[in-house]
Amino acid sequence: MRRIRRDFAVTACVCMIAGMLAGCGNSDSTPKDPDEIITLRILENDTAKSKGYLDELLNAFNEAHKEEGIVAVDANMDEYSNLAENGPYGYGPDVIYQANDKLMAYASDKHILPISPEDYECAEYIPEQAWDAFRLQVDGESYTCGIPVNIQEPMLFYRADKMPENWETEWDDDGNGVADFFENWNDLYAYSKYLRDTDPSANKDSQYGFMASFNNLYLNGEFIFSYGGYVFGKNADGTLNTEDIGFGKGNAATGLMALRQMAGLMNEGCIDDTITSTRYEKVADGTYFCTVSTPDTYTLFVEKLALQYEDSGMSKEEAQAKAEENLKMVELPVRLPADGDLSRDSSELADGDWVESVVMGGVNGYGISSYTKYKDACVEFVNFATSYDMIKTRQEMLGIAPTRSDVSAESGDQTSELIFQSLSENRIYLMPSVKEVDQIWTPSQTLLGDVAKDSFRANSGETEKYKTVEDMQTALDGVSKNIYDAIYTLAD
Amino acid sequence: MKKIRVYASSVVMGSGQLMQGQWIKGLLYLGCLAAFVTYLVTTGVTDIIGFFTLGTETADPWLGTKGDDSILMMLRGILAFFIIAAYGLLHAANIRDVKEGEEALAQGKKLPSFWKAFRTFTDRKFYVVALFVPIVGVLILNVLPIVFMILISFTNYGGDIVPPALVDWVGLDNYGKILTLTEIKGTFFRILGWNLVWAVLATFLNYFGGLGLALLLNKKCVKGKTFWRTFPILAYAIPGFITLLGFKFLFSYGGPINYYITMNGGTAVGFLDIDAGIKAKLIGLLVNTWCSVPTSMLLATGILSNMNTDLYDAASIDGAGRWKQFTKITLPFVVFSTTPVIITSFIGNFNNFGVFYFLRGGLYNDGYFLASDTDLLINWLYNLSIDNNYYGIGAAVSLVIFIITSVISLSVYVRSNAYRKEDSFR
Repeated sequence: MRRIRRDFAVTACVCMIAGMLAGCGNSDSTPKDPDEIITLRILENDTAKSKGYLDELLNAFNEAHKEEGIVAVDANMDEYSNLAENGPYGYGPDVIYQANDKLMAYASDKHILPISPEDYECAEYIPEQAWDAFRLQVDGESYTCGIPVNIQEPMLFYRADKMPENWETEWDDDGNGVADFFENWNDLYAYSKYLRDTDPSANKDSQYGFMASFNNLYLNGEFIFSYGGYVFGKNADGTLNTEDIGFGKGNAATGLMALRQMAGLMNEGCIDDTITSTRYEKVADGTYFCTVSTPDTYTLFVEKLALQYEDSGMSKEEAQAKAEENLKMVELPVRLPADGDLSRDSSELADGDWVESVVMGGVNGYGISSYTKYKDACVEFVNFATSYDMIKTRQEMLGIAPTRSDVSAESGDQTSELIFQSLSENRIYLMPSVKEVDQIWTPSQTLLGDVAKDSFRANSGETEKYKTVEDMQTALDGVSKNIYDAIYTLAD
Repeated sequence: MKKIRVYASSVVMGSGQLMQGQWIKGLLYLGCLAAFVTYLVTTGVTDIIGFFTLGTETADPWLGTKGDDSILMMLRGILAFFIIAAYGLLHAANIRDVKEGEEALAQGKKLPSFWKAFRTFTDRKFYVVALFVPIVGVLILNVLPIVFMILISFTNYGGDIVPPALVDWVGLDNYGKILTLTEIKGTFFRILGWNLVWAVLATFLNYFGGLGLALLLNKKCVKGKTFWRTFPILAYAIPGFITLLGFKFLFSYGGPINYYITMNGGTAVGFLDIDAGIKAKLIGLLVNTWCSVPTSMLLATGILSNMNTDLYDAASIDGAGRWKQFTKITLPFVVFSTTPVIITSFIGNFNNFGVFYFLRGGLYNDGYFLASDTDLLINWLYNLSIDNNYYGIGAAVSLVIFIITSVISLSVYVRSNAYRKEDSFR
């Protein structure tokens, strides 16, 4: 019996080894069947997935291309999964949707294929500035590595029904029909202060004006870029010089003094992500008069506001209609005080006392992986996904600001037009399309949160760190140095 | 003749066996030699050369130029060395076998048939047969990645040098950077100091927290022990990162603790923000204790149930108080049984990634290079290698972590009673 057991064990071992060796041969990845189905893996962003847009897109594409044997499927990967690590080994997506900084970081290492804009039907409807976000210089040649879909910049979200009743008489000094607090930051500060001063609750926490998590460079970049600060400088040929890090350049320190001042009218939630997490509910319930976010979150604000209306007894349809009517999205105020003092009366400031607001922005688009086996099918897919119908559907379902001028013109939504106007007037600082940009976020987030916290230090008996512009300048120079170190210290 | 057959097998594996008339065995050895030579000729030599060069032709995905993949070449090179080592062992076995055959022949014995020899081998050395596949698995799945990680620390992999760029060997440069570059050196030693303090405190709190709870719930006077034991087990059953995110919310500016502080007229406290410093460290210890005490409690409860209660009766008669009984009877017994667990707990805490990643990720403090003042080496390693792509330096840090934890745990273990008095303590 013992002998039989051992023979059996030996046989099993031999079988296992044979099994292991069987897997060592070369796998034949060449298609054997000329009619083989081409499967494209599409990596979209999480919002497109959660809102059902990706399913809509895949179903429409698959239906339209069922005769050609092309099937598009969800890549089922994290939206920020690393193409540089997965792509070369065959695990990456074939088509990837990302913001220009991420996409171009891949492109600079050639993980994304260059494309010819003329291959795409959408090309003629997309402004040059959007294409520029996807252009790359390699050995003196310019390549385009992405197809723009939508443009993003921080926008101000508010409830129209929460506007002060007397805004036309009290908050519209120039009488242009636009409330002053949507036109300049001093009036936004003044109105926020008014709301804080008149807060009826015992704990003074029931009404706020402008609210934002200040630890986010993308959403609060105007306090740096409007004052001459920048991320990376430029070389003589117009390409980015990543050794020149300019967070402390110009009067950026003055701008951050304004941010610090504004934080004083908020609560400590502006130091971390608290306001970012709660902004949808707080705008909906009226606690925050306005907040900052990106256009693609519009539907989330509407959703929460509709729920609020439903709770107050409206039917679902009524609530949705009223939420869409009342939830407004406008550009951030275009004027900031040159001296960084938001508390000054705007009526006393001359034109030269202002600086024009420059916000951070980005263009999202599709890129085609260099590791795809089916380049032509990918072009076909991107052409379909950037077609008039699909971009229109995307706009309707996700509330994006499309780069296709025909879609935005037809919809009557002026958001895209406004954003492109700002872009052409240099009021949007596009996220640099280089991979070094990855290193800017954490150091800047840390500083912005710390500056916001400075407004609360005195109340809690702590020593204030940024009392003067010089203190702020030192901190900004420190951030630039940290970013430089992160990029170059270990790069040799 | 005797020596000729041994020499023959030394030169051409299996030839000695063939000359001894062991045809099947000889042919099998010859087959292995042929397979090995074929491997060397087809890929082996290329893989070994590739291991040293790490590639010479850069890939260009735009042009469809496949080029060399340094990382893959390194892996194939390591595998080639494994295969050569395996062949070396087989070759030694072949010489040993032919020598044994010669000795048997010299004694006038008849050499056994192949099948008889095979059955004898599988009977006498069954452990070799049974362990062959698991050992190969361990070599491929465990040893190879460790060797790979160690070798990566001697390259410039990371930063701008990621595929398709070619990686190069840089010797001890990465270790040199850790020890000489001001930013890196300062950060490394600061984090290492905090990491050691953290590991000791966290292990102490977890261990004695669990033991204390187990002793408390073992008391005869405690009613409803099963009921009370349920609560720590519930905490244990909830996935760690959920608990950590819960605690992060609890201590955030918008969380309930600050809500009640401000509601009562106080000022919100930045428990985990950039200035938190010692507050964040203490919260980290508290949260880690919350997550880990149930494990220690369950372990201690099991061990305490094996205690001989007569010892306590005897100690009481001898006049020992409760504290004396604890330090002289309970503690030595529990520590003896759990020394390996304390060591693994120490290593676990030393490499505790989750606590500060979830509680306080996304912050870089002044004076730290890509790290915050609560980050442990493992968090810094993550920041370097995953967030910032500095794989080479990250691998060097991980090797340093490995050396530190190995030295500490081994030196503690060999000095412990659990190791020295394994057979004597009862």
